[in-house]
Amino acid sequence: MSDQSFADKAVMDFPRRDAHDKVTGRTRFTVDIGGSEVLHAALLRSDHASARIIKLDVEPARKMPGVRAIATGSDVPGRYGIGIADYTLLAKDVVRYHGEPIAAIAADTLEQARAALDAIELELEPLPASLTMADSLAENATLVHPDWQDYEVLFEGGVRGGNIAWEATVERGDTDAAFAREDVTIVEGFYEVGRQSHVPFEPRAAVASFEDGRYHIHASTQVPWTVRTVTARVLGVPESHVRVTVPTVGGGFGLKFDASIEPCAAVLARMTGRPVSIINSRREEQMTCLSRENAEIRIRSAVTSEGEIVGREATVLMDCGAYGGEQVFLTTMTTHTLGGNYKLGAVRICSRAVYTNTPPNGAFRACNGVYNTFALERHTDEIADAIGMDRMEFRRRHVLGDQDISATGQVYDGDVLAPMLERMEVLRAKSGSRKDLAGNRFYGEATTVGTWLIFVGPSAATVNLNYDGSATLVTTGVELGQGTMMQALPQIVAANLGIAPEDVIVKTADTDAAGRDLGVGGGRTTVSIGAASEAACTVVRDKLLGVASEILQTPKKDLVLARGRIEIKGRPGSGTTIQQVVAEAESRFGPISGSGSFTTPPFECMPGCTAGHFIDAIEPVFAVHNCELAIDPDTGKVDILAYRVVQDVGRALNPRAIHGQIQGGVVQGFGYALHEEITINETGAFDQTGFENYLLPLATDSIPVEFDLYEGAPAVGPFGTKGAGEIPILNVAAAIGCAVANATGKQVSSMPLTPPKIAALIDDCNPPLQHDHISPVWSENTIERK
Amino acid sequence: MTTSLMINGEERSLTCDPRTPLVDVLRNELRLTGTRNVCREGYCGACSVHVDGKPMSSCLLPVGTLEGRDIVTIEGISQGDKLDVIQQAFIDLDVIQCGMCFPGMVMTLRPFLRDNPSPSRDAVKFALVGNVCRCTGYERIIDAVMSVVDATEVTE
Ligand code: FES
Ligand code: FES
Repeated sequence: MSDQSFADKAVMDFPRRDAHDKVTGRTRFTVDIGGSEVLHAALLRSDHASARIIKLDVEPARKMPGVRAIATGSDVPGRYGIGIADYTLLAKDVVRYHGEPIAAIAADTLEQARAALDAIELELEPLPASLTMADSLAENATLVHPDWQDYEVLFEGGVRGGNIAWEATVERGDTDAAFAREDVTIVEGFYEVGRQSHVPFEPRAAVASFEDGRYHIHASTQVPWTVRTVTARVLGVPESHVRVTVPTVGGGFGLKFDASIEPCAAVLARMTGRPVSIINSRREEQMTCLSRENAEIRIRSAVTSEGEIVGREATVLMDCGAYGGEQVFLTTMTTHTLGGNYKLGAVRICSRAVYTNTPPNGAFRACNGVYNTFALERHTDEIADAIGMDRMEFRRRHVLGDQDISATGQVYDGDVLAPMLERMEVLRAKSGSRKDLAGNRFYGEATTVGTWLIFVGPSAATVNLNYDGSATLVTTGVELGQGTMMQALPQIVAANLGIAPEDVIVKTADTDAAGRDLGVGGGRTTVSIGAASEAACTVVRDKLLGVASEILQTPKKDLVLARGRIEIKGRPGSGTTIQQVVAEAESRFGPISGSGSFTTPPFECMPGCTAGHFIDAIEPVFAVHNCELAIDPDTGKVDILAYRVVQDVGRALNPRAIHGQIQGGVVQGFGYALHEEITINETGAFDQTGFENYLLPLATDSIPVEFDLYEGAPAVGPFGTKGAGEIPILNVAAAIGCAVANATGKQVSSMPLTPPKIAALIDDCNPPLQHDHISPVWSENTIERK
Repeated sequence: MTTSLMINGEERSLTCDPRTPLVDVLRNELRLTGTRNVCREGYCGACSVHVDGKPMSSCLLPVGTLEGRDIVTIEGISQGDKLDVIQQAFIDLDVIQCGMCFPGMVMTLRPFLRDNPSPSRDAVKFALVGNVCRCTGYERIIDAVMSVVDATEVTE
């Protein structure tokens, strides 16, 4: 844990050093890497959701102008994945989704590469396709992966079978007994949500070269080490033969938390001996987006008249698309998000990743949490209504607090949610109700709570203290736009070494330079890389103070580092500069540097209650959101009148940057809740192929979010920080969904709430949700008990 | 076919298919990559340039139609270290995130503020409907614009 006195030295609101180049257009993203030596590649993609490859003849394409190399499935044979290696980079024998890549062509220009795709002779024989989870779970359903049993398992413990790519369950206590009690009301709810596309302004892109027998990939990615591992797997080469570097990334939001096109660029670079660039076109990016998954949720609760939740059971189906990908891991998250927020007696939750013949899904900011929070909070309102308790009162009484246990039996420290609810009341009172603005329209308001977690996992950092008194921080962290690499990390290193953050150089990610890191996402960068950096600083400081102690004839404990100097405590000006101590150290034993690392702290759950989980216990992060809105009764159009956030940030090192994350995340949530819609047509393709019909929030759709940063909750991060970038989107759909229910007096059970859907809701024209493929008997929805 | 036009004050002759969108010529031939290529459909504004002083989406402009026109890109906006006031305000208020949309924002806002020296907050929002930002949620961008507007009012 950090020494709090260092935190006091942190320069708050340190400005980002990449701002100038970004605003003048000088920043070079991966998509801007170019030059006449670079070849351009295009991918041949399936236009069927499920088909057998009868013929794939690339020879005619080789004769096309400008063509330098062509790769097909046999050039990238290895399978990869998360939990299970079910993914192929280029389809072989069969295609499993519309848009699946089959071949890649590198040519002198992109136009030539695209023209050559047309010369490839491809014949596909259609096979039956499962386009929905209901299809995939039907009796005698077509198997998306008939060979699922033969795949290599990369993480033990998951239950799998047929179209269930992965299943995670938690069972704590006697749920049957809880539901059988005489004194409980039983409340049941069904919910469903569609997909959300990230639309980072820079699409997925990679430029690869083959240098001195090794692959070097510049990638627009959040996970350089995953790209390294996956590239090595699919090419069948040692991981040490792959180097990944990451220029500034133009947005990720989780889309770039997996490898995708990078190994294709690598194999073409080896074949041609030239750098090869692959950049997804906007259409490709949309059509193959590793979206936030569509999901179907059933929750049932047994509640006493006082609102005590004595039993809860839930089944969550997550569509992983044609390959398991991130959803395999995300099944774990349901336990922590849907199983969060409230004190629970007995609980059992099953979360399943279901294969379908649709484009694979992935991770998207507060992945899994966004829709589970929507479902949980709508269900909570329905519980409060059923027992006749005020919705806020219910939350005040039953949110998790100090020493309460989580769904997995982990004991939580500290009262956080209840005081956050109080702070929300204060924030709301301060700005006052906006009901007047609704005029003749329906007016609704809701306050919701949400539980997220800090993804921790391995991070490594090295700090070199330079001869000039500056420091260089070497990690494989990536700057996506969130500012961590520009702000929090230099702030943390500077505060630890007593230098100015301007004097901390942060090296861009290079897997040849720094140790392994899980990647940038889940709000983990400040915490995990920050903690590793702090550990590295401790080593550096120790060496520095050792030498200074001799020079100044003062014990280490009486020395302080500040403003580039080492002073004797209480006697400013008595010491010497860091630069002089570095020079002295160099003459004695050489330059000063230090390395540090971090990994998941040993949180504990109740043994034996989980199965198939990647993470059993967590560091929770909480959020409370409040929304006021108006609905036009004729058109069903929603106007957000006020939006308020109280966010558990641990400690705010850069309140301006956190404000930016809150405003940006909430508005992304507006899009998810109200108009970002993906529909899948009968060919298994998305109908929304670009900006024309995938509707992103515009300036006129946003409002200024009012916020209050809640500090002081227990935190493992440096100076008590928690990640602040992931969570702002967590309860937006929940708050809007509950406010729409409040405004209309109707059941709100699906997202997005597009104007036609709300208009139909008002007129009672929406058919009730039916999920016949989710059994009312909980255990029938799990594999092991069937 | 050759098209002659001015780009950032320099006369250029471009020999390429006249149907090539200006954004591709800027980025690929001239390596002026500050003009971003995001939606290619005219919706996002990341590719905005000035054509005879008016902001336009360069993804929708075939180069062959630009004979004799005067094009200014984001690279032509700042002179050396001297930034436009709106660029400076974006830096000072720390509103930038991934930054992909910002060159386009600057290209839209500069002529807008020239023509509308003291717009309301809502007017600024309407001016930006053709400039999408996926990261920031807009309001801090508008804050930065309003900070410049207020400053202008004070000096006037
Ligand atoms: S790229 Fe031209 S408007 Fe989007
Ligand atoms: S800052 Fe990323 S798109 Fe605007």
